[in-house]
Amino acid sequence: MTDKDTNKKEDEMTVVVPPPKNKQSSAQPPNDADGDIAMGDDTKAGESEAQVDPVAQTISDIKSNFALLDRAVALFDARFSLRALRSISSIRKRLTPDILAQVVSETFSASSPNTQIAEHLLLAVDRPDVPLGQQPQQQQQQSSSSEMEIDSSSGSKSPAKNGGNKKEANKEVIPEIDIFLGILAQVHLYDTKQYQRGFALSRFLSERIQSLNRRTLDSLSAKVYFYFSLFAEQLAPLPPSPQSPIVSIRPILLAALRTAVLRKDIDTQASVIVLLLRNYLLTSHISQADLLVQHTQFPENAANNQVARFLYYLGRVRAIQLRYTEAHEHLTAATRKAPSSASALGFSQTATKLLLVVELLMGDIPDRATFRQPTMEATLHPYFLLVRAVRVGNLEDFETVIAQHADTFRRDGTYSLILRLRQNVIKTGIRMMSLSYSRISLRDICIRLHLGSEESAEYIVAKAIRDGVIEATLDRERGFMKSKEVGDVYATSEPAEAFHDRIRACLALHDESVKVSSPPLFFV
Amino acid sequence: MADRQLTQILTQLQSSGSSLSYTDASSLLSKAKLLLLQLNALTPTAPGAASNPSLFSLARHVYEQGALASIRAKNPDAFLRYVSQLQGFYELESTVGTGSAGGRIPGADANREEKNKVTGLYLLLLLTQGQYAEFHSELEALSTRLGGGSSQGTTRELEADRYLGYPIKLERWLMEGSYDRVWKAMKKGEVPCEEYGVFSEILTYQIRSEIASSSERAYPSLPISSTKSLLFLESEGDVVEFARSRGWTLKDGHIFFPSAEAAAATEEAGAEQEKPFSQLIIENTLGYARELETIV
Repeated sequence: MTDKDTNKKEDEMTVVVPPPKNKQSSAQPPNDADGDIAMGDDTKAGESEAQVDPVAQTISDIKSNFALLDRAVALFDARFSLRALRSISSIRKRLTPDILAQVVSETFSASSPNTQIAEHLLLAVDRPDVPLGQQPQQQQQQSSSSEMEIDSSSGSKSPAKNGGNKKEANKEVIPEIDIFLGILAQVHLYDTKQYQRGFALSRFLSERIQSLNRRTLDSLSAKVYFYFSLFAEQLAPLPPSPQSPIVSIRPILLAALRTAVLRKDIDTQASVIVLLLRNYLLTSHISQADLLVQHTQFPENAANNQVARFLYYLGRVRAIQLRYTEAHEHLTAATRKAPSSASALGFSQTATKLLLVVELLMGDIPDRATFRQPTMEATLHPYFLLVRAVRVGNLEDFETVIAQHADTFRRDGTYSLILRLRQNVIKTGIRMMSLSYSRISLRDICIRLHLGSEESAEYIVAKAIRDGVIEATLDRERGFMKSKEVGDVYATSEPAEAFHDRIRACLALHDESVKVSSPPLFFV
Repeated sequence: MADRQLTQILTQLQSSGSSLSYTDASSLLSKAKLLLLQLNALTPTAPGAASNPSLFSLARHVYEQGALASIRAKNPDAFLRYVSQLQGFYELESTVGTGSAGGRIPGADANREEKNKVTGLYLLLLLTQGQYAEFHSELEALSTRLGGGSSQGTTRELEADRYLGYPIKLERWLMEGSYDRVWKAMKKGEVPCEEYGVFSEILTYQIRSEIASSSERAYPSLPISSTKSLLFLESEGDVVEFARSRGWTLKDGHIFFPSAEAAAATEEAGAEQEKPFSQLIIENTLGYARELETIV
């Protein structure tokens, strides 16, 4: 999950590497070369870790994941591949082209049928001349320690001799492993901003995935597509322009979606739908995004993070289509489902921003507490000012906030939505007027709300009256608005109804809790 | 051969544009479309159009003329068809146009004007048909597409455009309720081009009924003379006629809205409902009592 969160963060904020996480494998540090692994010396591990060459450490970390993947295939259990994927976030900062090249050359032998993949990987990390099938014995301690790592984590194999074990691995490199290496290369290229190269590699990887039909690849391929579209977004010309590469990858993604649906590959399905939605939204193809949502079914038991993203994009589409109630529903769900970890903060911030704007558009005033959360306070500040302007109904303030923070709003993609708020501001302004004055001339309304002319003011007030924003009447001959006396609410049936509602809710709660707490009959 | 014929038809369409009757125009258009088919350039991705930029723009112009002609003939369905055919051309064109610095398609500026004209008309059509969701989706797409790489000030640019800004402003005013501005914008001279005038009639009708429905609630009564200006009607006779059509009562030079009486009627009805209301309270209280009993 964690690395998905990281990616999400990148989607939105394009920076920040997650906080270093203690990787499970660091609890099993490489031991001496004698092959005797004692699981009990974890305490020693912390100290000895410092002395170990970081390169060797990284290589062994990567290789430890191969064992996980092996096991995932052998036991047909996706949890192991997910564990391998999770470790990427801790490896990614230590990756260098040399490390990758070394791992690749040690993993693939020159004679294996998959040399083509290895060559692609080497090319991607700019080390095309590294020979394949290198024997790790060249670097005595390092490789031996990495061997031990495999042994220790795979556990099933007895601590065999390095050489023999190695050769056995060389014979069959399972596709999971080479895709995993591919993902590592993608991550590395993305971190070092070599987008063009990453794009080429991703294209190759996606083709390879399409040609394979292995269920154990599902979670890995979802990742590959994720980086694929991430690279495409970074390539010039950048997204809003219609000739951006993201347009060209649509057919690939759609094909991937089709295959995933046919194979009931939930991971890929969820992630590709989200990617496509994002893709369409980047080029503002709202109607296409809408059609996609209509014609696909988002898998119900998809990973939580994918659901959150999906809901966010869906909320966005609905907000643009003026279906605010639905948008509000989706966005609320998205913000609630957003992972609470610090690395996913960007997502919750973005979702919250959109949610705030939608709430305003619905005529609600967002809760003030939202703006006080320490993690949100700074980024939400422009929105705070906006909400304040809307709440008071001050058109002038509203315009200045928009002008001042136009860039922020544009970057967040909320600008056009915010422009729609103008009428809400006017309505609130009129409501304020009507509450504070029992009679006010249209001229004054026009001046205070900065409306163009008295006639405009008249029409606007009339519309507000019809829409039920205010209770008032207009006098055309004398040109004023007369507010109706606010009737005593307690004279109506309203309080009784509210009271009744609450009592009913309490009773229902009571019934529920009785039902839950009473022991089932057959126990009695 | 065929393309020369096509250019001929196109110039005929362009030059005599509005004076042609719709039947003449449509016969010319169908001839042009046949020629396009022969040249294999009916769709933007057809081999003929894709390889030959001048044919590409010829085809585009044919569709644009078709769109304008169908608007003049007040045929929204035909117009929508042309617009959806054009969409592909516009999408591809921005690829082609900026890809080689506008070199491939000559007269990019003139092209843009025609394009904006058609797009603006499309927006206006959506607006008058009340398809606000599509209107805003289209708008969103426009603002990003127009901006290309730099998103700076695109919305302002959109509004500044003569053709595109018009529907955008109208939408905003309609939403706000500044109907007088809408009215002013529809007067002669404010409308960007004659095709836009076609929608004025629909829009006038729309805002008039909007104003009428809000007046019913907002005013207790209105003098006939000022209603004339309020509803943008020509004469007092029109006012009387309009008032009749909406079922308003006229008395001593004033219009009285039925809603006032209706409101009074509902108040009475409210008094009648008083009885069931107290009954409701009793029922509720009895209900609480029963519930309490089960709990205690």
